[in-house]
Order: sequence, then C-alpha cells, then structure tokens
Amino acid sequence: MEIKIIAFGQIADIIGNSIMSINEIKDTEELRKKLSNAFPQLNEISYGIAINKKNINKNTEINMGDIVALLPPFSGG
Amino acid sequence: MESKKIKKIFVEGAISPEFVGDSIAKHSTKKSIGAHSIFLGQVRNDRINEREVIAINYSAYTEMAEEKMHEIREATFNKYELTCMHIYHSIGTVNVGEISLFVFTSSKHRKAAIEGCNELVERIKKEVPIWGKEIFEDESFQWKTNANKSIEL
Repeated sequence: MEIKIIAFGQIADIIGNSIMSINEIKDTEELRKKLSNAFPQLNEISYGIAINKKNINKNTEINMGDIVALLPPFSGG
Repeated sequence: MESKKIKKIFVEGAISPEFVGDSIAKHSTKKSIGAHSIFLGQVRNDRINEREVIAINYSAYTEMAEEKMHEIREATFNKYELTCMHIYHSIGTVNVGEISLFVFTSSKHRKAAIEGCNELVERIKKEVPIWGKEIFEDESFQWKTNANKSIEL
C-alpha cells in the first residue's frame, strides 16, 4: 500500500521533501509514530493532519490512494 | 449573492493599493450598497532577537485553502446580510510595509459589513492552511506564529 504525504511550513523544512510515499501505514497514529522515529525534531512541533483535504481530529484509517497532509499551526494574514 | 463556484484567493506577491482602489471603484454600479468594510493586513517589521523582519514568504496548501475559504465564505454569507465579499491573500514574498491580506465586505447597512469582515479575518487566520516565513535582514528566517495575536489586530 502506498500513500502520498505532503508536508508544509516548518514540517517541510524538517522532512526535507514536500512529497513522499510511505508503505505499510494503517492509520494516522501509526503515521505519527513512524514520522517521529524517522524525524525526532517533529516531536517539538504540534501539527495537524488532513486526509484528502479534510482535517482529522482523531485516529483515522489511511487507505491506498489517500493524500495525507502534515499541517503545522497556520500563520496566514 | 456571489456565484457558488470556488474562487481563487491567492495573489502572487503583494496586493497593490491600486488593486484595492479598483476593487472599491467597481462597486459604484451596485446601488443597493450603503456600507463597505475593508481589512488590510500589512507586513510588520517585528524585531526578534536583535534581528529585524524585512519580508514574509507565504506558502499554502492551495487546494485545501480554497475549499476551506469557500466553506467560510458560504457560512459568512448565511450569517450576515452581505451584498458582496472579496478575499485575497498573498502567496510568495511580501516586503515589510506591503499588503498581504485584503478582505472586503459590502452590505446595505454598516453592521453586517463590519461584523462579517471581522469574522472573515479571524477565521482566515485560524482555519485556512497558509504559512508565513519571516525573513530577516541577514537572510535567516523563522516560521511565523499567529497564536495570541488577535488582540493586535
């Protein structure tokens, strides 16, 4: 299974690439764990997750073909 | 009422005063309007640890931002009696002293325009996936945070 991850703001700076693919992720909790193991700096940032452009507020299943976005706190305006 | 299609909100670079002026002028033909309310966000030269901000570089999750903005726009039209609503946000680099956010509401009577405009600005800052990177004079940078800044509006 392959999902597409897009990162923004300071998370894109840490992950290094704004688009990446990860295999074998079943839900958003697992994704957070894998990311924080791979990128310990992420533990210092609170970030939200959107799946297919919708904000996720609780652990949510990730399906093949989903677009998962990592969203640090917004600072527009 | 405006059309229901998703509108573009992003403008490359700063929003010019001429663009704001032209937008106002275009409303002279809409004769039921009695009040306009305009919010302009300007990039400020904050000083952080002895370094001065000279510009903000804005980036966004464009597709999600446009969907979210559409939702906010519809909710605001439903809540206030507005004749029109226009929203523009910069993407890319905006220098200190230049405009990065332009929110423009019009209504028959002033209260709807003022309150609608205010609510739009608050919701844009809180809910739309846009990020500002503050660039300092020595070319270093830090990611801007909007937390607890609503009082300074």
